[in-house]
Amino acid sequence: MALVNYFSREIQFKVVYYGPGLGGKTTNLTYIHAHTPPQYRGNLVSLKTQEERTLFFDFLPVSLGEVGGYRARFHLYTVPGQMIYQASRRVILQGVDGVVFVADSSPDRQDGNRASLRDLVRTLDAHKLPLRGLPLVYQWNKRDVPGALPVERLAGVLNPWGRPAFPSVAVSGEGVMETVKGALRAVLHAFQEEAAAQPPAPMAESQVRA
Amino acid sequence: MANRALYEEDIGAIQTVLKGLLDTCYAQGALLVDNAGQLILNAGTTPDFDLHAFASLVAADFAANSELARLLGEDSFSTLVHQGGRENLYLTRVNPRVILAAVYDKRTSLGLVRLRVKRCVSELRECFQRLFDRRQQSIADVPMFDPALVHGLESELERAFGQQ
Repeated sequence: MALVNYFSREIQFKVVYYGPGLGGKTTNLTYIHAHTPPQYRGNLVSLKTQEERTLFFDFLPVSLGEVGGYRARFHLYTVPGQMIYQASRRVILQGVDGVVFVADSSPDRQDGNRASLRDLVRTLDAHKLPLRGLPLVYQWNKRDVPGALPVERLAGVLNPWGRPAFPSVAVSGEGVMETVKGALRAVLHAFQEEAAAQPPAPMAESQVRA
Repeated sequence: MANRALYEEDIGAIQTVLKGLLDTCYAQGALLVDNAGQLILNAGTTPDFDLHAFASLVAADFAANSELARLLGEDSFSTLVHQGGRENLYLTRVNPRVILAAVYDKRTSLGLVRLRVKRCVSELRECFQRLFDRRQQSIADVPMFDPALVHGLESELERAFGQQ
């Protein structure tokens, strides 16, 4: 859940990259880190096994320039995709403001995609975060593998809600930036809609101008 | 997406409590982190590491240990202590949503940190209870979420991620 700090004039959002193991979640964050100007991002933190598989999470903080006197910060996380790390995924999804589901387009990975999506829905339910109200975008990754399934077929199975989707080849960066922009845009718009739906609040002391 | 807001008066009260903790236990720094890994506030010596990465790791560390506690049949481990060669870290839960992290070195002792943190947590709980009791309807007052300013943020997104 977003944290608005009137004192530091910052709003912090949490976005999690979710999906099956070896689907390209870490590759996405690695690419974003390498190709984003340093003034917009911090260091990439990766907790991984000796085999370079994500053990707990990857973390990349992103900070946009000041707009209207406020700064928006996005904390990008990945989760470990292997099924044995379900407890870790539950921890990382806590307080999430948006999700990027990174699906593997390989023809032999569809069971993994479906299982991961079911796991996502189940874990969000456990956190009382209905998918309906949560910004969610899809990335159809590995579009370059032989026999990659058509996006229409992937969407038919994995995206019945018609959320935004972006094809990608994360190892080369294709579609990575489009995906992250799409996700962050969705988070901002959802936050704006929620703000617009709230009744005006009494002014707090800190908001009274002398 | 349930959101939270921190006003200046909230921050002021919390900072006073944290400063009191640092003054009485000689710790170098104190951070408040939420369960999602967001940094709420820090006090004390400005560290030379990434505070936001630190906050995410603190939350993950605490959450992982909470899961371990549950496996052992405990509700949770309310306190974690990490002792290094020079720097040490004391983590404790303030309330179900907030974790306090105190960074200290050999200028103080674990016993003194533990004693002072206990009082500090009690005061912080009162601060956060006042905060959570207040209606959380301030989001509409954030000027940046005027549609025109959202457009400004989207331009910033292009600047940040537009180059490949």
